[in-house]
Amino acid sequence: MQPTIQGMSIDDVYQGMKARNVADSTTKLTDAHVTIAGAGGLGSNIAIALGRIGVGHLTLIDFDQVELSNLNRQQFKLSQVGMDKVVALKQNLQEFNPFVTIDAVAKKIDHDNVATLFETADIICEAFDDPSAKAMLLDAASEAFPSKPIVMATGMAGIHSSNSIISKQVRPNLYIAGDGTSTGAEGLMAPRVMIAAGHEANMVTRLILGQPTI
Amino acid sequence: MVIVNGEPVAEAVGLNIQTFLEQRQTPVDHVVVELNGHIIHRPEFENTTLSPNDKLELITFVGGGR
Repeated sequence: MQPTIQGMSIDDVYQGMKARNVADSTTKLTDAHVTIAGAGGLGSNIAIALGRIGVGHLTLIDFDQVELSNLNRQQFKLSQVGMDKVVALKQNLQEFNPFVTIDAVAKKIDHDNVATLFETADIICEAFDDPSAKAMLLDAASEAFPSKPIVMATGMAGIHSSNSIISKQVRPNLYIAGDGTSTGAEGLMAPRVMIAAGHEANMVTRLILGQPTI
Repeated sequence: MVIVNGEPVAEAVGLNIQTFLEQRQTPVDHVVVELNGHIIHRPEFENTTLSPNDKLELITFVGGGR
């Protein structure tokens, strides 16, 4: 008897995931390991985008719990308020795509644990809210992994034009998406945060598939 | 002349990075600094003085997203 998930054959579920992925991408995606720093507005949207297309190994790192004020932009449910974000996100990802190995790490990232936490990642994806945490991660990762690709974001608040959010390749292995100026004090809403998350997720996808230009 | 993010800045010569950032009102903990292609870590800001023809890249972050 064929193995099943929710009454469907595993093979059918896998073929369904593959059917609309870009030709010849799925095997490379399956082999990739992406570590996402932060599981909030950016991180939850990035993880779901990468999980849906079958990035084979995702590590999610965040110390925070789901709050009601997160739900206007972060991919959590009312029923998950109070849970560790990484645990809730893993739960959601598994419902979207069972072919992803997910490590949920409820931990605060600091300068001293970057070398350990990101060692096995092919690509580092930054998804913090705090600008000093973003700078800390870039600083520490550049020291620990001088050539590992790192995809980041800065500036996705308010209701400014979608087209002001762009991706820049700042160094050969450093990509930064965003408008570069808007701050969380303006308010943060799903549509614009998702644009920045989409930039990051697409850059990660392009890197996995051997297209390292913006 | 120091080249800061591609722009020549005459008054930066002779300043250390800490002082230069403070004069620009750039929050020191929101920025990653590259001097002539090498990252300068935060504890080294005060001991690193800018010289003529240095190329300084400031990667500055704003908040919001998590």
